[in-house]
Amino acid sequence: MTAYLLRRLPSLALVLAAASVLIFAVIRLVPGDPATALAGANATPEAVEAIRAELGLDRPWVTQYFAWLGGLLTFDPGRSYLIGGTIGSLITESLGNTLLLASSSLFLAVLTALVLGPLWAGTRKPWLEHLLTGINTLAVAVPTFVMGVALILLLGVLVPVLPSGGVPRDGLLANPSITVQYLLLPAVCLALPIGAVLTRYVAESLRTEMAQPYVVTALAAGVSRRRVLLRHALRNVLPTSLTVLGLQTGALLGGAVLVEFTFSWPGLGLLIERAITGRDYPVVQVLLILSVVVFAVLQLLTDVAHALLDPRVRLGGAR
Amino acid sequence: MTDPVLTIDGLSVRFPGATAVEDVSLALLPDEVLAVVGESGSGKSVTALAVLGLLPPGATATGSVAFDGQELLGLDEEALRRVRGARIALVFQEPSTALNPVERVGWQIGEVLRAHGVKSRQARAERVGELLGQVGIPPERARDYPHQFSGGQKQRIVLALALAADPDVLIADEPTTALDVTVQAEILALLRELQRGRRLAVLLITHNMGVVADLADRVAVMRDGRVLETQDVRRLFAAPSTEYARELLASVPRLGRQGRAVRPATEAAPVFAVDDLVVDYPGRKAALDRITLAVTPGEVLGLVGESGSGKTTLGRVAVGRLGAASGTVRLFGTDLAGLGRRELRALRKRIGVVHQDPAASLDPRRTVLESITEPLDVHRVGTPATRVARAEELLEQVALGRSYGSRLPRELSGGQRQRVALARALALEPDLLLADEPTSALDVSVQASVLELFAELQEAHGFACLFISHDLAVVNQVADRVAVMRNGQLVESGPTGEVLTRPSSAYTRALVDSVPVPDPDEQRARRLPTVLTSLKNTA
Repeated sequence: MTAYLLRRLPSLALVLAAASVLIFAVIRLVPGDPATALAGANATPEAVEAIRAELGLDRPWVTQYFAWLGGLLTFDPGRSYLIGGTIGSLITESLGNTLLLASSSLFLAVLTALVLGPLWAGTRKPWLEHLLTGINTLAVAVPTFVMGVALILLLGVLVPVLPSGGVPRDGLLANPSITVQYLLLPAVCLALPIGAVLTRYVAESLRTEMAQPYVVTALAAGVSRRRVLLRHALRNVLPTSLTVLGLQTGALLGGAVLVEFTFSWPGLGLLIERAITGRDYPVVQVLLILSVVVFAVLQLLTDVAHALLDPRVRLGGAR
Repeated sequence: MTDPVLTIDGLSVRFPGATAVEDVSLALLPDEVLAVVGESGSGKSVTALAVLGLLPPGATATGSVAFDGQELLGLDEEALRRVRGARIALVFQEPSTALNPVERVGWQIGEVLRAHGVKSRQARAERVGELLGQVGIPPERARDYPHQFSGGQKQRIVLALALAADPDVLIADEPTTALDVTVQAEILALLRELQRGRRLAVLLITHNMGVVADLADRVAVMRDGRVLETQDVRRLFAAPSTEYARELLASVPRLGRQGRAVRPATEAAPVFAVDDLVVDYPGRKAALDRITLAVTPGEVLGLVGESGSGKTTLGRVAVGRLGAASGTVRLFGTDLAGLGRRELRALRKRIGVVHQDPAASLDPRRTVLESITEPLDVHRVGTPATRVARAEELLEQVALGRSYGSRLPRELSGGQRQRVALARALALEPDLLLADEPTSALDVSVQASVLELFAELQEAHGFACLFISHDLAVVNQVADRVAVMRNGQLVESGPTGEVLTRPSSAYTRALVDSVPVPDPDEQRARRLPTVLTSLKNTA
């Protein structure tokens, strides 16, 4: 396993290097720059130029890139242009909120997939199949921001049972039951597309798995269909489902931006939204590279977990 | 006469748009082995699944299946579940997929015990150990995973699993088909021992007449979903009452039977020769270990051996797909070492290849004609018009006729597909034909006709052939000389009649002895003791 990890490291480094170049370039290719945004609408060209010089934006791109890279590698990513404060402190303020939201969503998505996936695969009732297909399609197809607004409208405004946005006044840690109320809508909204894709994948794989000879062997020996589905077959589906979940974390990262914006959830997503509209280059860059790191590391972890779940990989090939 | 334990009466199974089983009636007596024989599509496996209520969704069964006086058709799932495993058990063809790949084998057997009321973990573990011991697997291996066992061991574990809840009836669906012949002999011996020891009634589904002769008391012959006749095994082999059963028995290649007329050895330079050949796969022991053999022009060399013996690897060397680690490989007199792509291509033009599974080796989107002209296109032989003419001529030669040219592979039967593959292999008039298990995927009557065609074509075209097969009887029928391989080494080689009747090595002896003879009296007289002793000698 250690050898495997060591083999993966160079490609991980390559991915991160390429991502850093791409992120750096794309931000500069987008029209508008932070100096104009900072200077305000009525600023003279000279004033804008002065700000550019102050921020170092008049230096060549290559110099800027390496200065930025150096900052990243020494864990000193610099200061925000617009929002104020060091990027480090901005991230630590928002990180906890996002982690809570993302992990709750992930939990909900996995739970849904593990409950509805087998139900969908195992049911022989046509109406239930149609119902699940319908819900699933809806959950995948409706864009996150529409779903978010719909949820707010339904459960925050029309039937006001849940807060329509924001976080508890006393912070997330003060009272868990209040925190859950605030967390519920954004977490569901973020979990829906991920859970739907995962549920569908689990259901389809289970269906394929239930046609495998070992399933017939177990059934023919008197093991109940329910147990074969939930224990024998599901166990075989887990490794690949985990890989699919790993890929879905991309959707989780992207979805978090929209959801945090919709529900005014003060996390990294909201931070990146503010940074992008304000052309706050350093913040945007760092947040993007951070999400690439998170994604790449999660992929690596899922691959490792996949290997650990499969005895054929764990114990070496057939003898 | 005793009452049957399992009575199938007027069973029909319908799938949407097709009838798989039509009005089948069978009675299985206690303590007997009833074989159900038939070729693919005869409905024998569907019958087995119908008995246990395990038909795929969409299939409907009518008629009656009675076990011990209880009607099984239409029984609810829970009642059926209690019958499955505890009263009637099922063993499948393919041991490599019949076990759950991600669970320990002991756990899998334990699941059956658990399903039939053995609550305590401790009791289950003990019983699993006993069961494994009964099928010849060391009990401590209960904690291993399926991939850590060989094919024969897996089939033993599957048997332990099926017998865990002590059933009265065992349905064995092609239990030895996927196994090597020496392993098959062991599993047959084990099946016999278990059947006797537990007084099991066995419904044995098979296409192998040798297996029938070895195990069965009575035989039912099925074709196209119907039972044609049910007979005592001796009477069936001696005097089948239906034409189909007669044909089926006649198509079975037999080892003892005189093979082809031996042609005098030629002095001509060999078309394919390897000398002291060693081939390595990275990270493993030698795939081929110091092999020396040659195929002379016009000669059919049968290459036999069990899985992992290296026979397919040698085939890949012959077409220049694998290089030698040491030793020489000569194709049509040219040393393959250091040959460029172009020269290799020119040599390959003189080799035709036929693979095992015609369903996989023919492009499903190309018509028969396109498949046959492809080698001509690749090597730019003639004009498009002459290529088509050549393909049509070949279709006539393989007894299909030019009207087949416009068909797609899926519109052909297995035997017809293999004829097309043969026609394609002969398109460039090769000097050497490489045939890798060309009839293994075919039913026995189809195999007989394809082998006949092969002999005719070989006679007419005079190509040399490297004929790879695990089936000694088939090789006996087609080959001039035989080379026996084991674990990458050449065990012995010589004229077919000599090697297969008077083998000089103990291993070949064991191979020959392991092949069940399609004759009940002969098979029962010769089986176990000789096989076991000869196996021990080679170990």
